[in-house]
Amino acid sequence: MPEVIEKFYSLKELWKKLPKLPVDRKYLAGGTDLIVGYNLGISSNECYLDISDIRELNLVRENKKQVFIGAGVKLAELGKNSLIKRWVPALYDCVPHFASSSLRNMATLGGNLANASPSADGVCALAASRAWVLLNLYGKRESKPVLSVLKGPKKNALKKDQIIEGFIVPKKRHKAVFLKLISRAKFGIGKVGICVCADIEKKFVKDINVVLSSVAPTVFEAKKTSSILKYSYLTAKIVEKASETIRTEVSPISDIRSAQDYRREMCGVLLERALRYIA
Amino acid sequence: MKKYLLKCQVNGKNIEREIRPDKTLLEFIREDLGLTGTKEGCGEGECGACLDLLDGRAVNSCLMMAAQAHGKKIITIEGLRDEKNPLIDSFAKEAAVQCGFCIPGFIIKAEELLSENPEATDDEIKESLAGNLCRCTGYKNIIKAVGKVRKKCLK
Repeated sequence: MPEVIEKFYSLKELWKKLPKLPVDRKYLAGGTDLIVGYNLGISSNECYLDISDIRELNLVRENKKQVFIGAGVKLAELGKNSLIKRWVPALYDCVPHFASSSLRNMATLGGNLANASPSADGVCALAASRAWVLLNLYGKRESKPVLSVLKGPKKNALKKDQIIEGFIVPKKRHKAVFLKLISRAKFGIGKVGICVCADIEKKFVKDINVVLSSVAPTVFEAKKTSSILKYSYLTAKIVEKASETIRTEVSPISDIRSAQDYRREMCGVLLERALRYIA
Repeated sequence: MKKYLLKCQVNGKNIEREIRPDKTLLEFIREDLGLTGTKEGCGEGECGACLDLLDGRAVNSCLMMAAQAHGKKIITIEGLRDEKNPLIDSFAKEAAVQCGFCIPGFIIKAEELLSENPEATDDEIKESLAGNLCRCTGYKNIIKAVGKVRKKCLK
């Protein structure tokens, strides 16, 4: 249990106070994963750092080429944001599938990435949108592709005290669709999630990115499948070939939610549905 | 253990308390303030029994540390009762309450919805309440009770 809890309102304040705080510390944003662990007795750090009200992490802004999404912006806000709707349609489409509306009032994209769940819906949508993550450690910033931060189930590649400041999404007109196969609608962890972002004109695929969740150790980019579809016309034959490929590309497991074979089969089915919606 | 000085507003009253850093918002509301209308169900954010309004947004108080509420305005079911919120009467009139354990969470969530969308459709009500569980399975009357408080029904 935390012996110390500190709240911060700016990154400057955080970096200034950090050296004086206990070394065994966790960063607390939405809390929808961390506090579940705390309530179950799994997470037991000496110090919690509440970063949920840090100004820099709570912005959505744009410039000519990119949209910046602060890591601490609540998902419910993203689901109402006109910039997200216009430039990050995958994320906009994903938000209603993300847990319940009360949890969306709390959960953040930064937490979704840091938690590194194989079933992370928000990460799936960001990766399909070719987002980059902006990291910050004592004011030193670096950016990298979103999926490069994931190392395995619940394992991320963040350095100690490295903060996820936000996400950078290139402004490029495209269509997107997010589909999720789940037992209890609007709630819980999916059996399979798929997000497809594509630039398609008269059935010709100029560009496409297919990303899946819950079917690999991390959220997973189906590169072989995307390469089959790119620069092709969406004919029945090509869709069938892509659907067969995606079944071989994923590596699902059997668990309490679903069986391996069913998940594999549904990856193909969901891809076909997604392409039908998006074409 | 370093105590945290929590300043917030609960049901319109300014509160200033030194709290243990390991307290969840749910524990603070129930144990420190004695407002036991907010319930603990699953402790994992899946049942919605612990919902309170934080700056107008329904949040699962079991998944927030109390310190996170610093500087915020909290409304609990007691706050809605004190202001004679029509949802409370409607739940009684429509026989939407069985054992009653989940009802504060449902009312808090419905209050958030109707504040934002006073003419919510039945589908929007269902969607909004999807994160609340009633073990007595009285959903039909709950949705009816919320529907009766829509702007057009109150005219």
